[in-house]
Amino acid sequence: MPQNADHVLDHFDLFRQPEYREMLANKKKNFENPVAENEVQRVVEWTKTPEYREKNFAREALTVNPAKACQPLGAVFAGVGFEGTVPFVHGSQGCVAYYRSHFSRHFKEPSSCVSSSMTEDAAVFGGLNNMIDGLANTYNLYKPKMISVSTTCMAEVIGDDLNAFIKTAKDKGSVPMDYDVPFAHTPAFVGSHITGYDNVLKGVFEHFWGGKSGTAEKLERVPNETINFIGGFDPYTVGNLREIKRLFDMMGVEYTIIADNSDVWDTPTDGTFRMFDGGTTIDETVAAVNAKATISMQEYCTEKTLKYIGEEWKHETVAFNHPIGVKATDDFLLEISRLSGKAVPEQIKLERGRLVDAMADSSAHIHGKKFAIYGDPDLCIGLAQFLMENGGEPTHILATNGSPKWAEKVQAMLAASPFGKNCHVYPLRDLWHMRSLLFTEPVDFLIGNTYGKYLERDTGTPLIRIGFPIFDRHHHHRYPVWGYQGGLNVLVWILDRIFEEIDKNTIVPAHSDFSYDIIR
Amino acid sequence: MRQIAFYGKGGIGKSTTSQNTLACLAQMGHKILIVGCDPKADSTRLILHSKAQDTILSLAAAAGSVEDLEIEDVMKVGYLDIRCVESGGPEPGVGCAGRGVITSINFLEENGAYEDVDYVSYDVLGDVVCGGFAMPIRENKAQEIYIVMSGEMMAMYAANNISKGILKYANSGGVRLGGLVCNERQTDKELELAEELARRLGTKLIHFVPRDNIVQHAELRRMTVVEYAPDSKQADEYRTLANKVHANKGNGIIPTPITMDELEDILMSFGIMKQVDESQVGLTAEQLSA
Amino acid sequence: MSLSAPETIEEIKQRNKELIAEVLEAYPSKSKKNRAKHLNQFQEGGKDCSVKSNIKSVPGVMTIRGCAYAGSKGVVWGPIKDMIHISHGPVGCGQYSWAARRNYYIGTTGVDTFVTMQFTSDFQEKDIVFGGDKKLAKIMDEIMELFPLNHGVTVQSECPIGLIGDDIEAVSKQKSKEYGGKTIVPVRCEGFRGVSQSLGHHIANDAVRDWVFDKMEGKPARIELTPYDVAIIGDYNIGGDAWSSRILLEEMGLRVIAQWSGDGSIAELEATPKAKLNVLHCYRSMNYISRHMEEKYGVPWVEYNFFGPSKIAESLRTIASHFDDRIKENAEKVIAKYRALSDAVIEKYRPRLHGRKVMLFVGGLRPRHVIGAYEDLGMEVVGTGYEFGHNDDYQRTTHYVKDGTLIYDDVTGYEFEKFVEKIQPDLVGSGIKEKYVFQKMGVPFRQMHSWDYSGPYHGYDGFAIFARDMDMAINSPVWGLTKAPF
Repeated sequence: MPQNADHVLDHFDLFRQPEYREMLANKKKNFENPVAENEVQRVVEWTKTPEYREKNFAREALTVNPAKACQPLGAVFAGVGFEGTVPFVHGSQGCVAYYRSHFSRHFKEPSSCVSSSMTEDAAVFGGLNNMIDGLANTYNLYKPKMISVSTTCMAEVIGDDLNAFIKTAKDKGSVPMDYDVPFAHTPAFVGSHITGYDNVLKGVFEHFWGGKSGTAEKLERVPNETINFIGGFDPYTVGNLREIKRLFDMMGVEYTIIADNSDVWDTPTDGTFRMFDGGTTIDETVAAVNAKATISMQEYCTEKTLKYIGEEWKHETVAFNHPIGVKATDDFLLEISRLSGKAVPEQIKLERGRLVDAMADSSAHIHGKKFAIYGDPDLCIGLAQFLMENGGEPTHILATNGSPKWAEKVQAMLAASPFGKNCHVYPLRDLWHMRSLLFTEPVDFLIGNTYGKYLERDTGTPLIRIGFPIFDRHHHHRYPVWGYQGGLNVLVWILDRIFEEIDKNTIVPAHSDFSYDIIR
Repeated sequence: MRQIAFYGKGGIGKSTTSQNTLACLAQMGHKILIVGCDPKADSTRLILHSKAQDTILSLAAAAGSVEDLEIEDVMKVGYLDIRCVESGGPEPGVGCAGRGVITSINFLEENGAYEDVDYVSYDVLGDVVCGGFAMPIRENKAQEIYIVMSGEMMAMYAANNISKGILKYANSGGVRLGGLVCNERQTDKELELAEELARRLGTKLIHFVPRDNIVQHAELRRMTVVEYAPDSKQADEYRTLANKVHANKGNGIIPTPITMDELEDILMSFGIMKQVDESQVGLTAEQLSA
Repeated sequence: MSLSAPETIEEIKQRNKELIAEVLEAYPSKSKKNRAKHLNQFQEGGKDCSVKSNIKSVPGVMTIRGCAYAGSKGVVWGPIKDMIHISHGPVGCGQYSWAARRNYYIGTTGVDTFVTMQFTSDFQEKDIVFGGDKKLAKIMDEIMELFPLNHGVTVQSECPIGLIGDDIEAVSKQKSKEYGGKTIVPVRCEGFRGVSQSLGHHIANDAVRDWVFDKMEGKPARIELTPYDVAIIGDYNIGGDAWSSRILLEEMGLRVIAQWSGDGSIAELEATPKAKLNVLHCYRSMNYISRHMEEKYGVPWVEYNFFGPSKIAESLRTIASHFDDRIKENAEKVIAKYRALSDAVIEKYRPRLHGRKVMLFVGGLRPRHVIGAYEDLGMEVVGTGYEFGHNDDYQRTTHYVKDGTLIYDDVTGYEFEKFVEKIQPDLVGSGIKEKYVFQKMGVPFRQMHSWDYSGPYHGYDGFAIFARDMDMAINSPVWGLTKAPF
């Protein structure tokens, strides 16, 4: 009997005990009709070959292990960034259960969001009644300051019209006539989570600035000195937005963080559950129309929003690609300095110097190492730039939700560096493609989200966890990756994994432990 | 810019009527964009002199997604510089044509297809069967709907149904019923019937387009009558219709659709439908002759 | 922990009554009327829990429920390890449920085993507009080429499939024929069907009946049969639950010919109608197929409960009662063998947990099944409810709960928060969406779907972990730090 009250064995030890091993071996042999072991091994080896890679890349219809989610997830991410706001997703209810679980697993925080719970009858007759009852319930139960409506694919296929539905719901008294219910159609079969983020932000601006669907005057823009800051769908939103505020405050920049979800996903455990915390206020959102410029940290999360703000409201717009490291942060701060007319203070210059110092101390361990990177289009760019600054060599860059145009841009950026010239960019590909790449063109390290651990298991490529979602390591989202301080965090994460790998490979006594150094 | 839409039962002559009307509006100097919202994609053939135009959805499917398209790929220019796009859609019996309409209109708006035009006209298939086919009557889309109908019972039934669809969106958005256009089928008391239906729906009969074989002659040549035979009497009819539509700006109303019973009453009072003998309902021919 | 705790049963009942009335006040009248039917308390001697269940959730209230797809792909089919389960539709559903349910298995993932992978048809707009059948057919071809050792495919429908009218049955039949009779199962589990996961379970059960069993008609068994063949039904092997259950059944001389569906294979599903007895853990999700096997193949089924030593012993005896004396004696031997372990566990943890109050809200069988395990540790369940239970679940619950237990069906975020705030339990057991809400409030919490990434909790081996985990949650020093001293 393996279990013991004094020393309770967990699953990872329990099932490796002989009783269980034997039981499971018998189960397989006697009941599972298993494939012969040598045949399994043959296929395992075959999947590592260039021949398999060719077949794998010839796939046209099947997607296996994609690195993207669907629009409404991004819609919820943006929605919770406004003060006292409940995201309301119009469509089937199971979707909302999924978004909430997904965010809670990443942030280790509650994620509040409601559904209009459409069922079969709504599929036939439309979901108007669900909208009417749903808005009334959300409003009465949770007393939000605003309800941000988006859609699931179900509502989109049957063609529900949010604008008309919300107006009808207001007519029926679900919420007061002048209550703010911005909306965005976010079909799951178009784009990905970053598209949903974009659509919701645009919907919020259209609502507050563009006359609230014809129920109010369109705003008059009176330009002032503020800068609007949009973070995009960012796994490190908690740490990053706080870091950005710190930097802007140090510079004396007047700013508005749009969709600031840094507090709602980092509430304290002190005896009170805060369904809402922080967030961009309605007043700030309205006043943001007057900003002199709007900047986005993630170009591909804000394509429509920036276009709208630039063309319709004549803001100067600037888009970055999840800037990480010295050069990217330099560019970012110079832009802020140019737009605001404020100089970058000495203190930040010191921080820059410290990051360069750390890189000078340690980049020898990164220099010449090959990396595969996957993730959202902007994050891929930010990470690749930082690696190249350290002499690392990005070799495969893959984004399931990256477009061919994105790939062209990244390829051009890589071509400009001696460290990037051997890198290939893969838009619209998934992690099963990455598996073939890692077998046929191996790299030293893989950077990606939690699902990358399956690639680590299969290909032996050590995984550095940076991205979304991260389920199996805790609290990294509380650290920034932007700013020079953020660059330092990324540097440490990369270095830690590199050192762990060296230690792991040198730990065998009398075999490799001559290199098991205490100083590295 | 004015946005209008033509709805009507399939086969009623909706595309012919709309294209002739729009050609006349172009002759009057207006810049026109036609958006065909029928999976059959036949809303622009008379303007383009072509059998069928490449549709937004077929091109998007070939390219990968609609984001991969440029507006020039889908927009063709025909008679008097009328711009034409066809939404297109699946073969009958598969997929979701209604979603196709939503996709196409979103694409056109986002890519600036509506810039620099005086008239956008949507030509929409038979009936508002699902949310997708209501896309052209959502807020900030068509302001006035023109229903093409005739004196046939099913055409009037469809006109009433379309009015129900308009009513649904009229309160929350700005869509209005512009009026009925009767495309003559030479049924009994057709003009009176059309006028009566218009009255009951709270609107008016914009124009009664008489039947004329010259329409078929023009169609064989894939042309509108107003281009094929501009001096013909039928071309004058369409010009009159176009002038009335143009003058009808802002005169749309929220329709008052009627019940099926009321519709049957109208048909009976005009002698189109026989009074139903309730005692005979559900009896077979054999039972009736017994 | 409990503040001004009501002492007598009358006081408790009065408090519960007031509490229910209070939370209902927050709703608009239509929803208030609806929700009132789902909230009550158990009255001693009641034949059910006097709540309505399996009814549509109220829109906009933050229900905890999922959908039919989650019930089929996420629960019933997903764990079948040697088949490939296609999430058919847009990318999200498959992505959010990818490897999230801890259905442990042994196998070479991506080669002969596929559970923790996400196969999706990643529907694009063109697939919606033009229909997805051709794409589905092509996906099957690509699967056969790239994953040749698969033992079958299932098509798990997401919402759009039913709305656009795709004919996945025709594609499945055609491809099965093309690939030499390979098992290809279309499942109509679109998320808008039904009111929760529950209909998805039923649809998935029916798909086994129609597309697995019916295909096996008249074919001989692949394995040699014995009089002691049983199948474990309704154990999803969360954290290895089915394994720590199986070991007990094998120790008492039974032969487990199939696991449904945790660590299960298509061969095991196919063999099950030949079992002598089906032992059913999660009644909610697999009673349908158990009843079918009873009616059509004459396989009796019996419910059991492997949480906590009291219920385990009771269940082992019940299962043994379907067999000969040798098995019955063996059951006693197994109970005796593990007594030392469970006594030691109770001796160690009971003093630390005795008298502590628990509130539960879970799915399937757990709102009732785990109560015995808590009671073995001297704890008391004061409130419970089902995410997607039916009335037969609430009937079965009467055997577990005490007079005055608060009952909440399809609880909303708002209600659950208010209930816990007022009742101040020492522990809440629910899901990931609820976990952090209550921890913020300073209330210890354990996830009772995923075992908070621990487990197994089934069987004697699992009980030790269960007890340790509950102690770890309740007696964590962290809870003493929630109030700042300034």
